[in-house]
Amino acid sequence: MDDRELVERAVKSRDVAAFNLLARQNQSKVRGLLLRLTRGNHALADDLAQETFLEAWRGITNFRGESSFSTWLYRIAYSRFLMQARKRKPDEPLDDWDGTTPSSEGQAQARIDLDRAMKKLAPAESAALTLCFALGLSNTEAADTMQIPLGTLKSHVLRGREKLKVILGDQS
Amino acid sequence: MNDTELDALLATPLPERDAGEFSVLLMERIAQHEARPARILAWITSGVMLVVIAAACVFGASAIGHVELGDDSTHLLVPAALLGLTLILSYTVLQSVRE
Repeated sequence: MDDRELVERAVKSRDVAAFNLLARQNQSKVRGLLLRLTRGNHALADDLAQETFLEAWRGITNFRGESSFSTWLYRIAYSRFLMQARKRKPDEPLDDWDGTTPSSEGQAQARIDLDRAMKKLAPAESAALTLCFALGLSNTEAADTMQIPLGTLKSHVLRGREKLKVILGDQS
Repeated sequence: MNDTELDALLATPLPERDAGEFSVLLMERIAQHEARPARILAWITSGVMLVVIAAACVFGASAIGHVELGDDSTHLLVPAALLGLTLILSYTVLQSVRE
């Protein structure tokens, strides 16, 4: 069953089982995005992901279907991350990330290097790159998700790419 | 690293995460969220119940102090009504807690 049908069921009859399926289908990407944004802080990323899905459940009737359900979730996740980042005290840095994730064992070194490099980017740059490349959103969708103008998104992507090239170039 | 290599690396899908525990936790949180109105109703009903019981006690005390029970059957109507109301409210509280 695709997202659209499940959303319809969840909206019309407040069907928790349908929403559970939606959550299961989308949790990996939402958690992956938040993990990048929180620079590998698994606990924080999962906590934010829980809040994202809870907020989605509360406001699912507001979902108009203008974008895909996953894009709508990314928008909630990103705004949750920004809210959390604003609340965090300046002297309370995000956990340092060793660049590995539980699922990265045995995966290519390049991926580990990328994860390491990503944490050196600004959150907006990291989010823009993750949305546009790893999650396959168009520039317009990514700009809409981050609620920034298209031009700003393109700048974030460009700046992020340039920084990554330098960082990854230094590492190799 | 050239642009093509970087693009390919960036386009690598994010690692798949197991939904199991995450999904269970999420369902628990949704259940808690959904139970909130029932819990609030339970607290409000408990408050009303306390007021009713207090009123019954006051009425009972005043009735014992001023009239002999059995003199006038109408004096028993008010405590009986209060008792009935208390029972109904108790039932409502139980139902709300069960939900």
